[in-house]
Amino acid sequence: MRALLAGPVLRLVSVGLVVLSIQRTVAADHPVGGVRVQVVLALVAGAGAGAGSERGAFAGFVLGLMYDLAVGSPLGLTALCYGVAGMVAGYVISITPDPQWWLAMIFVAVGGAIGEAAVPVVRLLTGEAGWVNARMIPIVIVAALSSAVLSPIFVPVGRWCAGARRKKWKAMLE
Amino acid sequence: MFSSLSRRRVAVLLVLTSLLLITLDRRGNPVINSVRNVFASVLHPFETAADAIAQPITNAFAAVQGYDQLKQENEQLRDQLEAQKGIDAKSMVAILELQELQELNRLLSTSNLPAVTARVVGEAPSNFQNTIEINVGANRGVAVGMPVTNGAGLIGRITKVYSDRSVVILITDPNYNVQTEVLSPLESPGSAVTTTTDPELTPSGISPSDLTSTTTSTTTTTTTTLLDLSATTVPGASGQPVPAEPTGASTSTPSSSPSSSSTTLAAGAEVVRETGVLTGQGSDRPLLFRFIDDSAALKSVKVGARVVTAGGGQSLAPQGLPVGTITLIERQSGSRAPIVEVTPNASLAQLGFVSVVLFVPNPKGN
Repeated sequence: MRALLAGPVLRLVSVGLVVLSIQRTVAADHPVGGVRVQVVLALVAGAGAGAGSERGAFAGFVLGLMYDLAVGSPLGLTALCYGVAGMVAGYVISITPDPQWWLAMIFVAVGGAIGEAAVPVVRLLTGEAGWVNARMIPIVIVAALSSAVLSPIFVPVGRWCAGARRKKWKAMLE
Repeated sequence: MFSSLSRRRVAVLLVLTSLLLITLDRRGNPVINSVRNVFASVLHPFETAADAIAQPITNAFAAVQGYDQLKQENEQLRDQLEAQKGIDAKSMVAILELQELQELNRLLSTSNLPAVTARVVGEAPSNFQNTIEINVGANRGVAVGMPVTNGAGLIGRITKVYSDRSVVILITDPNYNVQTEVLSPLESPGSAVTTTTDPELTPSGISPSDLTSTTTSTTTTTTTTLLDLSATTVPGASGQPVPAEPTGASTSTPSSSPSSSSTTLAAGAEVVRETGVLTGQGSDRPLLFRFIDDSAALKSVKVGARVVTAGGGQSLAPQGLPVGTITLIERQSGSRAPIVEVTPNASLAQLGFVSVVLFVPNPKGN
């Protein structure tokens, strides 16, 4: 437990505070096509693609809790959605331990899209109707694209935050 | 830790913990509220730093990109300001008349309620939450549930209060509900209505629905009011065009175009009030109005009618705050309730300064 607190949690919280403040200032004030870019979600998906499903889910849960605390949404709601996003993006590690940048980008985009789409669905399940409508489509598309664009930065950052190391390959001696 | 847990176990643990936290928070856990307050204090310096770094870059970029547009907008605003001076003079006359009437009737006026002016300092970062953050909090007397307005009318309600800032849920949020009433002019041969067109009329000023609401008391679903406001201008304030009813006394005005119209009421015009509940439908979408009594309401309510807060002992807003204008009435087949859409007066996308009305009729409400 001590190792966990000293490692991933501390890193996630410290990096999460910076990214969350960017989310609440720059991303909130400059929507793209009327949709706010989800920087925290991109980091979660990056952590998943860089460190695997389990660590991605954990990173999503921690960053989602921070998001809920900051925004005022029901505690655990965004944590659940972002946990799913991190887990989905982490499936890329199941395919290949060291994914190419474009493959990681695709999985980050898918993770971002699923994480953003999950928010209104979970809100609906918790009794907040009204968000599941056609407006979700552009929101999910922007979330996916922005996550993909930010993936070259957030995959290594997320991997470091989640406490994973990139696999180093050595040539086999003949 | 992660190596000892399988993917399925992680997923189950994640879902169960999240559901537990959601349940605890929904039931109003004081520990979670305390943690939230502490976290907001921790995050605040980071936000200030991020804002301080990003703001100059954003301003420089915006200045280069939007110089021509700003210049053009500046010229338009100067023109509008000139026109506004004339409207202000007319409005002052109307206010004085209103105050005299109130003095006579000894009725509660929303303008008499104390209010705190606040600056909008942030918007919700989420795409599924219509809230803003303002720079006044408990230290200025702000409390949860208080209505928030701008020059055009009601914009929302305080949902969270910190020491020096508050969170406002906007009227477009699906979780927002407020008891309102529709003011419809009663068509009668005696009520003369004249419509004038002023190409330079600007979308601001005092709504006549604000004025008319103080001359009545709504004890039943439907009441009628005798207006005695001669030559009262009715400016619109939203950024969206509203269809005008030629026979409507309280006609709103389109404001997105340079030309707009205003309607004057003759003395003796009667107004019908229909009570209902107004609910948000998400950003960029009109509000949904639900009548308490559909059958009676449909006869009198028309497109263009003004919607104001109904007030009352349990309401979180005082009576008479202008909210919006009815822009669509779609009658449904069978016994289904009609769809009545209301366009808010206030342009919620461009909020700079707002007013928190220090009104708490029900201290236990939230």
